[in-house]
Amino acid sequence: MFTKGFPQNKNITHSAMLWLIVVQIVVTLPLMFYLPFLLVLVLIFSTVWRIRMIQGRLSQPNNVIKVVMAGLGFAALASSGLPTASLDMMASLLLLGFAYKALEAFQQRDGVVVILTGYILVAVQFLYSQTMLAALYGIFSLTALTSAMIAIQHTKSIAIKPNLKLATAMLLTCLPLMITLFLFAPRFSPLWSFSLPNNHAKTGITNRITPGDIANLSQSDELAFRVTFAGEHPPQNKLYWRGLVLNHFDGSTWTQFPDELLPESIPFRLYVNKHDLLSHLTRKGYAQQYEIIYEKSAQPWLFALSPVVNIEGDATYSSDFGIIAKQNLFEPLLLKLTSLPKALREAELPHSVRKLALQLPKTGNKKSQALANRLLQTTSSQQDYIQQVLNLFKEEDYYYTLHPPKLEHENSIDGFLIDSKKGFCAHYAGSFVYMMRLAGIPARVIAGYQGGEWNEKGSYLAVHQYDAHAWTEVWLKDQGWVRLDPTAMVAPERVEKNLQAAVKGEGSFLEKHMLSSAKYQWLSGLRKQLDASQYKWRKLVLGYNENTQSSLIKQLFGEISALKAALISLTIFTIIVVFWLIFLGLTKRRQHEAKEHQLYRLFCKLLEKRGITRQPSQSPTEFSQLAATQLPNLATEINRFSELYTTLCYDPDAKSKTPTYIDDLKQVIKSIRRKK
Amino acid sequence: MPNSANSTRTYASHKSRKLNSWLKNRFPDTTEITLGLRTIFIIPTMTTVALSLTVMLLFLMGINFQNSLIFGLSFWLLALIVISIFFTYRNLSGLSVKSIQASPCFAGEKAVFELQLSCPSDQNKSSIFIGWKDEDLAEVNLHQEESSQHNNPHTQRIKLSHSTSQRGYFKAPRLSIFSRYPIGLIISWSYAALDIQSIVFPEPILQKNADNGIGKDDQAEQGKDIANGSTDFSGIREYQTGDSPKQIHWGTYAKTGELHTKSFIDYASNDLWLEWSNLKLQGVEPKLSHLSARVLECHQLQLIYGLKLPTTTLQPNNGEAHKIACLTALALYGLDSKQRN
Repeated sequence: MFTKGFPQNKNITHSAMLWLIVVQIVVTLPLMFYLPFLLVLVLIFSTVWRIRMIQGRLSQPNNVIKVVMAGLGFAALASSGLPTASLDMMASLLLLGFAYKALEAFQQRDGVVVILTGYILVAVQFLYSQTMLAALYGIFSLTALTSAMIAIQHTKSIAIKPNLKLATAMLLTCLPLMITLFLFAPRFSPLWSFSLPNNHAKTGITNRITPGDIANLSQSDELAFRVTFAGEHPPQNKLYWRGLVLNHFDGSTWTQFPDELLPESIPFRLYVNKHDLLSHLTRKGYAQQYEIIYEKSAQPWLFALSPVVNIEGDATYSSDFGIIAKQNLFEPLLLKLTSLPKALREAELPHSVRKLALQLPKTGNKKSQALANRLLQTTSSQQDYIQQVLNLFKEEDYYYTLHPPKLEHENSIDGFLIDSKKGFCAHYAGSFVYMMRLAGIPARVIAGYQGGEWNEKGSYLAVHQYDAHAWTEVWLKDQGWVRLDPTAMVAPERVEKNLQAAVKGEGSFLEKHMLSSAKYQWLSGLRKQLDASQYKWRKLVLGYNENTQSSLIKQLFGEISALKAALISLTIFTIIVVFWLIFLGLTKRRQHEAKEHQLYRLFCKLLEKRGITRQPSQSPTEFSQLAATQLPNLATEINRFSELYTTLCYDPDAKSKTPTYIDDLKQVIKSIRRKK
Repeated sequence: MPNSANSTRTYASHKSRKLNSWLKNRFPDTTEITLGLRTIFIIPTMTTVALSLTVMLLFLMGINFQNSLIFGLSFWLLALIVISIFFTYRNLSGLSVKSIQASPCFAGEKAVFELQLSCPSDQNKSSIFIGWKDEDLAEVNLHQEESSQHNNPHTQRIKLSHSTSQRGYFKAPRLSIFSRYPIGLIISWSYAALDIQSIVFPEPILQKNADNGIGKDDQAEQGKDIANGSTDFSGIREYQTGDSPKQIHWGTYAKTGELHTKSFIDYASNDLWLEWSNLKLQGVEPKLSHLSARVLECHQLQLIYGLKLPTTTLQPNNGEAHKIACLTALALYGLDSKQRN
């Protein structure tokens, strides 16, 4: 705008075009993993065309080709079957626009558009992945983009190295301000909820469990969540990370509620306020405080030690003593929780809950029913019956396996309990609940995780998908809901240690993951070290939010008033600016003009006031001669000044005595001033 | 409506006059100016506006997805905008602009000014543009990589041209100096009012029948004859130091062994005079233009010519210096010292 009218070259140089290509590849690369294959082809095609064009082997695409390419891009998107309002779709569209703009970038303006879109694409990449590696790659992309920004400004091609150096220097110099803003700039919780479904949902426990599901889940070594305990951490066999309560059994699958209830509405039906929750709870025993960071799961289900009595973070209480996220987890979530593991849950069982906890499918499983009747006749009390069923698992020839045989749909309980006797945790839990319900004891299947791996390096517990587990809760008079784990009867190692120990004989732990480091003990030190740093990253960087910010500010500066906040920010910014001035060498005092020239200017000004203006064409001697004739009363001073000045300027010998000359000049100036 | 348009115009011109006088005060005429805090203005460019919008979008994305890394990215870019103020300022600060010389030209041609740009040796300057709007613009780089062709990488001379329309002195208008280096987000801007002027000769326009019939034409004819006749041999005299070897009479030298010079008749009194008073033209400028053309013509023909103006007289002579002196006299005719500026 200010440079309008100046004949400037706005085209970008060859080297800047190469930078734009680099940027295009760098920014697109990480997104390739998430986007439809056909789109990737279109992007590669566009990049190759651009490279050939810069090499001068291909001309700029004409309109027909542009339209065809845009059509191809949209066709690729349409055929990918992505939902319209999804992260993938948004990212794809942005990437497509980016590729086309990059194809025809010849002017600075186009280059700027490409680079700014590049910055947004780096942010999009962070929506997919927030690991340390992703962050490092993001910094790398940022450096490349900034270098490209520098490159497009130049009218001459400049070498890669100084350009990269300059970009790095600028970005590093930014750090103090960037970190300050990151720590102290106000964070807001989302005012609106605009979440784009991310289709690269991780594996995890869902709200429908068919006995084989958990066995499949156990083949994954992905992380589910990490826990840090305040104080002593509980023993391994008490670590039941309770997630979903599965009440309804249709003969083969366990679900939370009967299908009549719309699955979408379920999370909302489960919401309950804290007061209502506590009214069904009898406080007992110690309080366990801990902090959990959940990995994204694309599900709202959260896992905790039941019952949770206090939540700090973005989650809410559910009516069955668990917790639920307010929205599906597309981002990691940090919660601070307090549980009362020994508290008595629902001393009085509400009718609706009892009804749900006694539901049975109408048909099938005749053999199991016969078994239950047999046991009922021989037992006197509920406790006795429960013990008998548990003993059944312990004493009879039951076998804990990751490879349970396929079960007949109609009589799945019979298939396991009477026939095969080979099953995974969900089989044991499911049939145990079935047996309980046959005897009129309210019971339900619980899905969650059990145990976890201690990381001494980071002093936290890491719970992986292979820790997924299913157990049961039965309701007993005066005791409320009691946790019972039938799996512990068959495979105590599962609960005391972990899955790997429990299926050691079978060798089926993570058998599909030949390279998974979780399998190898000798790697565990390194793996834990890496995981510990990832955890620190999650907690300190990714988990930094409104709450952590306000507690940090409190810790650093105490209670904050508006005035104090203003003063503190002013101080910090002053410090940063001073640091920059020193760092960039802007504080060095420079002699702008030799003293004698400054004095000469002053001399001319003084004479000008007396009506004699020096013409640019006049030499100092000429001027002083003229001035001396016109101002006879100042003639001596004028001549003296001129003599001193010209001597100092042109006589090399005078240079060494500059200070005395300067003093003399000042004297003359003074005397001119004195003579009005 | 024309009334309001008029008032807007006067307001605008009033504003620009005010700005102009402020700038004049801020940038007094000097032979050398070093840019610093007082003289450098910092203005964000359109790119900054676009980047700020991007930062805002990223910040909203960060809020919506509660994504720390996106927050980090948006803050980093914000800091980049701020830091580029310092980098851009640093690039311009410490630059010295010094006037070296101005070459004369004819009105309507371009006056060329030679300037020297320099900076302290511990600094580097890149992509600095200096010039006049709609006229000329030069890009200057003062850093080590450029040193291959210069002895001192921190000093460089450039030539800038500016079109002229009027004879007389042409003072170099205030120069604009600006740089978007390094990243194009911020433009740092300054001016240099240099105490340097070029002499603009009257545009040479030869008018037919402009020279007075008797005085001028005859004299011109005569002049030519005399000029030709000046090669006519008139006699031989003794050699004096300073005589041209072409005029040595080698014949006598062969006979006597003494150097003799062929002497020529001195026609000085009949030299060609370009006279103001002899012109049959109306107005000062056409006369000056015509004389300017005549000076060029005479110089071309290697004649000996003199110039008579009402205020000055230049004795007949020839050569480059004489031509310039005549043209300068024409350029400055009738200008008092105030008008010269």
